Amino acid sequence: MKVTRRFVVFSGLAAAGALVVGWSGLPPRSRLGRADLLPAGAGEVGLNGWIKITAEGLVQLAMPFSEMGQGVHTALALMAAEELDIAPGRVQLIAPPRDTIYGNVAMFAGSLPLHPTATEPGHESTGARLGQWMVRKLARELGISVTGGSSTIADSWVPLRLAAATARAQLLGAASLRWKLPVAEFQIDDGVVSHAAGGEKAHFGELAAAAAVTPPGEVRFKPRDQWRLIGRPQPRRDAAAKSNGSASYGLDTRLPGLLYAVVRHAPALGGVPGRIDPAGALKRAGVERVVRLGPLAGSTDAVAVVGRSTWHARQGAQAMEIDWRGRPSGALDSNAILAGLEAQARAAAEHDDGFDFYSRGDAAGAQSAASNRLEAVYSAPYLAHATMEPMNATARFNPDGTVEVWAPTQVPDSARDVIARVAGVPVGQVLLHVTLLGGGFGRRLEVDFIAQAVRVAQETGGRPVQLVWPREEDFTHDFYRPAGVAVLRGGLDAQGRPVAMSIHSAGDAITPRWMARTLPALAGPVDMPDKTTAEGLFDLAYDIPNQRMAHVATRSGVPVGFWRSVGHSHNAFFSEGFIDEMAHAAKADPVAFRLALLAGMPRHAAVLQLAASQAGWGTALPAGRARGVALHESFGSIVAQVLEVSVETAGGNPRPRVHRVVCAVDCGTVVNPDGVTQQVESSVIFGLTAALHGRVDIVDGEVQQKNFPDSPLLALRESPTIETHLVPSTNPPTGMGEPALPPLAPALANALFALTGQRLRNLPLKLA
Amino acid sequence: MELTINGRKTPVDDAAIAPEMPLLWVLRDVLELTGTKFGCGVAACGACTVQVDGVAVRSCVTPVSAVAGKAIQTIEGLGTADAPHALQHAWVQHQVPQCGYCQSGMLMAAAALLKKTPRPTDADIDAAMTNLCRCGTYPRVRAAIHTAAATLRGGAA
Repeated sequence: MKVTRRFVVFSGLAAAGALVVGWSGLPPRSRLGRADLLPAGAGEVGLNGWIKITAEGLVQLAMPFSEMGQGVHTALALMAAEELDIAPGRVQLIAPPRDTIYGNVAMFAGSLPLHPTATEPGHESTGARLGQWMVRKLARELGISVTGGSSTIADSWVPLRLAAATARAQLLGAASLRWKLPVAEFQIDDGVVSHAAGGEKAHFGELAAAAAVTPPGEVRFKPRDQWRLIGRPQPRRDAAAKSNGSASYGLDTRLPGLLYAVVRHAPALGGVPGRIDPAGALKRAGVERVVRLGPLAGSTDAVAVVGRSTWHARQGAQAMEIDWRGRPSGALDSNAILAGLEAQARAAAEHDDGFDFYSRGDAAGAQSAASNRLEAVYSAPYLAHATMEPMNATARFNPDGTVEVWAPTQVPDSARDVIARVAGVPVGQVLLHVTLLGGGFGRRLEVDFIAQAVRVAQETGGRPVQLVWPREEDFTHDFYRPAGVAVLRGGLDAQGRPVAMSIHSAGDAITPRWMARTLPALAGPVDMPDKTTAEGLFDLAYDIPNQRMAHVATRSGVPVGFWRSVGHSHNAFFSEGFIDEMAHAAKADPVAFRLALLAGMPRHAAVLQLAASQAGWGTALPAGRARGVALHESFGSIVAQVLEVSVETAGGNPRPRVHRVVCAVDCGTVVNPDGVTQQVESSVIFGLTAALHGRVDIVDGEVQQKNFPDSPLLALRESPTIETHLVPSTNPPTGMGEPALPPLAPALANALFALTGQRLRNLPLKLA
Repeated sequence: MELTINGRKTPVDDAAIAPEMPLLWVLRDVLELTGTKFGCGVAACGACTVQVDGVAVRSCVTPVSAVAGKAIQTIEGLGTADAPHALQHAWVQHQVPQCGYCQSGMLMAAAALLKKTPRPTDADIDAAMTNLCRCGTYPRVRAAIHTAAATLRGGAA
C-alpha cells in the first residue's frame, strides 16, 4: 500500500485520539472552568476558571500565556476588558493553577499539514474540518499550556472572551435579581453596573458574591460594532515597568540566601566531561561547590559551579580544569552536513523521492513538457536564538517538601513535569512562577536549563540557586534553527505562464526531537512526518496546475529547535526567491506575475496589492536603488513586503542597505493594531539580522560563533523605515509574533537581484 | 568599600566582593539593583549600561574598584515613579519596549547622549546607540530620543 500524507496524518491522529480520549461526535469540552479553580483570597470571588472579582471591583484574569515581548498580556487583558466593560488598567493578571482549560488548542490545530486552499476562513474543506476537529479535541483533552506558534490570540479568542462574557452575564443577572429590574435596562461603565432611570448603582465587587450563584443564562459576545477597545491602538500594560527597571525577568529573581550557579558545557556539541579537577574552582574565594550535570531534558553533560555571586561562580567555572571528550559518535561539521543535505535534496529531486506533503496534477510530466524550464538550489544555515536574557532558572527545595522554581518559560506544564522528574517529587509538589521572558523566539520552549537548576538546587541544602548560562554557553549550546536545502524546479509555457513547480527539500525534523525533550510522555517510537520541515514550501497559495512538494527528514545530530517562524523562516526564502526567478524568466513584473496566480485567493491578492500600492511599486526610484517583493502566509496570517535597497561599500566589500520596508498584513480581526505594528517591526529587524548576518558554523564539533562580536545583530544605525498597513477583516484573529519574518529575506534577495542582477540563493545573503 | 549610587552613599561588604569584580555583578547580586541587565559579559550588547560621572559605561567590564568615589547612576535612578525622566515618558509615549530586557541599557545610553548632545541628529543617535536589541525596537528608540530631546529643550523641536 502506498502510504500517503493524508493516511499518515489521520491514522496517527485517530490512534492518538482513541488512546487519549476515546472518540465521540461531541465538540471539544468547554474551557470555561469551575468557579473555584482560581484560589480566592479575602473578598475575592471566582466566577469561572478565568475570571475573579475583587472586593474593590477589579477583574482578575488568569494568564496562562507568557509575555516575551509579543504583547499578549496587553492584548488578552483588552479582550477581557472589552467583554466586561471595564478599563484595561482595572484588569489584573494572575497566575493560574495547572488545569487543562488553559491548554493551547490552536497551536496544535496549526500543526496539521493543510494546504491554504483547504483552510480559507469560511471555505474550509471537509477533510480540513475533520482534521481540525480531531486535533482540537485531542489538544483540549491533553490541555498543555504553551506560548508559541503565534497562537495565543487565536487560541484565547473564543474561550477567554466567553469567560468574560459569562461573568458579565452573571454580574448583570445578580443586579437584576437584587433590583428587580430587567438586564436590558442596565448599563456597565468601567466596572459599575447602573440603572439610569432608577438610579441603582453597584460595582462588580458588590455584585460578585451573588453573581457566583446566578446562572448566566444565554451568553452572547459583545457585537463587533460596540467594541470600544478591540481594533483601536492601545498602550502596552508593561511599557512603564520596562522603562524604569522594575520589570522582573527570570534573572532578576532575588531570594534570601540566594546562591548563583554558572554552567559550563563541553566546547564541542555532544561532548562530555571526562576527568574534572574541581580544585581550581573550589580554592577561589566565593566558590561553594561543583556539581556535575548529566544530560537533562535535551541538555548535554555539563558542570555547574556554585558561588556567592554570578561572577564568583563564573570565575570558578573558568578556573576549573576539565578534560573534555568529544561527541562519542564523531564531531559534527556544518559544511559537511549542508553538503549532505544538498546531495539528499538533489537525489530526492532526481528520483521524486521524500515524504509527499503536496501533490497536484503531474508535476514531473508538465515540467518535461514545459517550454522554459528552471532549476535552482537554495540553502540556509543553522541559526541561534540569542534571546537578550540568557538562559536561567532559580530553584529552591522548601522544608515542606515542595520544590519552587522561578523560570522564564514558554512551556509551564512541561517545566512542572521536568521539575518533578528531576526532583523526584509528585508534580503536585511543584510550585512554578513564570516570570517575564527577556525574549523567547522558541528557545524557551525548551526546559533543559530549568532541569539543570533543579538538579543543582538538590545539592545546596535548601538554599535557593539561580542557574545562569553565560552568553557563550547560549550561543554554543542552543537548539538551533535547522539548516535546510531545497531543489526547486519550475516550468513555464510558451506564453510565460507557470505550468509546473516541484520542490524537494532536506533537513532535520524539529518536532519529534522537541517532543522527546519537552513532552516525553507524548513522544512516539517512530517519527511522525513533521509539518515544520515543509511549511512554506508545500502550502503555497499560487495556482500552479502541476505541483509536487516532498521532504527528506534527516538526523544530523545537531540539536535543533523551534526558531521564530520555524520552517517558514528559511522555506519562504526558498519558495519566494524561486517564484521571483520564474517571474524573471517569464519576463513579467514580479507583482503582476504573482497576482495572476492568486485569482482564487483574494485575501492573498489584496495583501500583495496593498503592499505594492503603499510602496509605490512601479514608480521611479533614485539611481542606485531598487525594490523587491515577497508574499507569504504563515500561522494563518498573510504578509507581503516591499523592500527598497541600495548597495554600499564597507571595507572594500559590497554590503546591502535596506532603506524602507512596506508591509501589508491580513491577520483577521486585529485586537491591538499597535501590537501588530510592533510585531511587524520586530520581525523585520529579526529577519534582517538573519538575512544579513545570521549563521552558526560548526567546525570539528565546535560552534564558531560564541558571543555577539562573532554573531552580530542588526544595529540601530542599520535599521530601515518600517511601515505597516493592515487589511480590515472580520475573520477570527490569527497571530503576528512570527508571520512578518518569513517574507523579509526573499524580498531582500529579490530587491538585490533587481538592483545588481545577482541571484542570491544562500543565506546569509552575500553580494559578490 | 563605599559606592555612590543614584546619589546615595552605599556601603558594600568587602567580603562579598573583590576589587576586580565587575560593577554589574555588585549591582545585581550584592546590592540587588536588578534593573541593570546581564546580556553578554564582553561589553558588546549594552544591556548593562550605567552612567559613571555622567558617561555611559558598560558595567559588565568595569571593575568595581574603578568606580569608587564616582557618581554611579543606574536605571533605578534615572527617574522616579512620580517624576519619570523625559526619556522614560517618551519610551511610554512611543511604546518602545517589547520584551524590555535591553531597555534599561538603551535608556542609560540615551540619557548620556542627551547630556552631551541636547539636539542629536540621526547620525548622533546612530553613533551613540550601539546597544543591541533582539526584538527590534530600534526605530522607536530613535523616535523616542528625538521626542525626549525636544522635551528637555523646553518643547522646541
